[in-house]
Amino acid sequence: MTQAYPPAHPPPPEPPTGYVPDVPWRRLDPRMLLVHPVVELVKFLPVLVGIFVLGSNGNQGWWQLFGVAIPIGLGIMRFLTTTFRITPTQIELQRGLIGRKVLTARLDRVRAVELTSTPMHRILGLAKVEVGTASGAKQDDDKFALDGLPLDEARHLRVALLHRVDVAAGPDASSESLPRGHDSYDASPVAPVEDEQLLTFDPGWVRYAPLTSSGSVIAAGVIAALGQFSDQIGSRLFNDPEVRHTVEHLSLAAAIPLALAAFLVLGAVFSVLGYLVTNWGFSLARDSRGRTFHVRRGLLTSTETSLERERVRGLSVDEPIGLRLAHAGRLYAIVTGVSKKEAGRTQLVPPAPRAVIDETGIRVLEQPEPLTLPLVQHGPAARRRRWTRALLGAVVLPVVAVVLVLTTPVPGWVVLPALVALPVGAALAVDRYRRLGHGLTDQHLVVRSGSLAGRRDIVQRTGIIGWNLQQSWFQRRAGLVTLVATTAAGTQAYAAIDVPEPLAIALAHDAVPGLVEPFLA
Amino acid sequence: MSSDTSPVPGNAALRDPAHQVSPKAPLLWAAGAGIRSLLLLVAVVVADLFWIDVPWWVYPLLVVVLIAYVVAMPRVRYRIHRWESTDTAVYTQTGWLSRERRIAPMSRVQTVDFEQGWIDRLLGLANVTVTTASAAGPLQISAIDKPVADRLVDDLTRRTEAEAGDAT
Repeated sequence: MTQAYPPAHPPPPEPPTGYVPDVPWRRLDPRMLLVHPVVELVKFLPVLVGIFVLGSNGNQGWWQLFGVAIPIGLGIMRFLTTTFRITPTQIELQRGLIGRKVLTARLDRVRAVELTSTPMHRILGLAKVEVGTASGAKQDDDKFALDGLPLDEARHLRVALLHRVDVAAGPDASSESLPRGHDSYDASPVAPVEDEQLLTFDPGWVRYAPLTSSGSVIAAGVIAALGQFSDQIGSRLFNDPEVRHTVEHLSLAAAIPLALAAFLVLGAVFSVLGYLVTNWGFSLARDSRGRTFHVRRGLLTSTETSLERERVRGLSVDEPIGLRLAHAGRLYAIVTGVSKKEAGRTQLVPPAPRAVIDETGIRVLEQPEPLTLPLVQHGPAARRRRWTRALLGAVVLPVVAVVLVLTTPVPGWVVLPALVALPVGAALAVDRYRRLGHGLTDQHLVVRSGSLAGRRDIVQRTGIIGWNLQQSWFQRRAGLVTLVATTAAGTQAYAAIDVPEPLAIALAHDAVPGLVEPFLA
Repeated sequence: MSSDTSPVPGNAALRDPAHQVSPKAPLLWAAGAGIRSLLLLVAVVVADLFWIDVPWWVYPLLVVVLIAYVVAMPRVRYRIHRWESTDTAVYTQTGWLSRERRIAPMSRVQTVDFEQGWIDRLLGLANVTVTTASAAGPLQISAIDKPVADRLVDDLTRRTEAEAGDAT
């Protein structure tokens, strides 16, 4: 198979052995002919509305016809001009209406495959296949997408693509010639085998949706959007004498709780809707050979994300205060990417009971300790720092209130509600200290911190690629260190905050053997 | 992974990195601080002339603070800024009010950058930045003598080339 290239042919990047030059180009699924025109029509909708509104005045039926024909034509052209093929070494996508564009991705660089189906795709049994590669090049803005293939074929393709990665990235990758000789992915020996189900969605979890902040964010967005129209709505409402009367007689004391209640109800409704739309049918599975995780979700548009197990460098248990009080949380995978842009977090469990989070986390890591390990607390100096910081913040509000009362005609009772800041600050200090902790298992470093946005991060010890020991002037006086483990995954840095210095150094020493040893005093 | 490393005693501490930066570094930092201080003074004067009334006592106070900054900061910083490169790791210490120590294993070093600004060039100084695959971990060794920097870059490049893997 070591066939020489014709001399005029420019060699492809790093041609591996076993290149098969004549793999035919293929079209996408013909059913996309039904999808594309609709998508294009939607894109053209503003123009179309304009045309129809204008057209309704005169008798320019022609224009309306054009308005529909052009998007449909574009859709058909898109289908006709897009072809792809998969050679043993790379996947190539050719497209373009006017300019021609060929995207090439080396199979051994494929790191993630995502299947997305809009409702339209789902009716027709199709899926869009997005291939994420570790090219490290700038052009990975160009998402490599095959839109679309029949769902079965898409899943099959995914297995084939990821399997190849596995072969190439395996321990014997350097000794063997790159991918083993598959002729094409159709002939791949990997039969679709049952995945191991790690998590199945329970619709009852939707009760946690209002406890996340996303609902209030959406509600705020909706209110802001309504604000855009408020001039019209407002003027119309205010011209209604009855409304005007009610509003004018509504005292401030009644209006504020009313608005707050409305906001909360709106927030709850939207967060529930949002939760259902994004998380309906959420499932987490591991393929039978334990090489990849599959995350599936979505009520209308369904997505299936595949994650190479090699890329998962840890877990992050998210416990914002609302979820924590309800004994719930979220679970994310800390994921590495070769380019920094694609590193980050992938949700593994949507807001769900803590027991489910722990159980799933244990299944993903295949060991319980990182999730159940009792953490080491950081001691009295760290506690003192929590108190001073919380109280300094809490004192500001009452002080401002007092100053306002003394210098401006603000009524004196304003100081009383401002005093609420003090117990809140104290509660925060207690909780923040209680949450502070770290631990070490034989494979993972565990750090936990934060009260309102609490998190327990579990980082693979072999994924730690450096230590930053940070000390502010105050920390140095208190003998504390913030020990930051740097990684190529997730947020790139995971901190154990305010650890007593000897403890921090012992932790760094134990977590990554040999690294700090030469620098010990 | 070797787990047979010696246990750390309860009073573990890190020593400072072995090497100080160039003795000319305080001069560089003082020059930078001086320029920044002058700019701030000019800004205050301009603000005073055109927009707001700055009370007279602000000026002596500001001048005293800035002089203290220009005089004291480089000395303190010179005592803190240190670096070291061994066969297995790079170790730096930076800061003046706060302090940060960074350690990166040689096997995880991705790039070694050499950089010289125009003042650096006048003083014969250079900066070396060592990055890893983490966005959080660049190690900056600033204001070392140019020949030292050259040797360090050679050294690091040679050592990291010897390491295999994609350093993530």
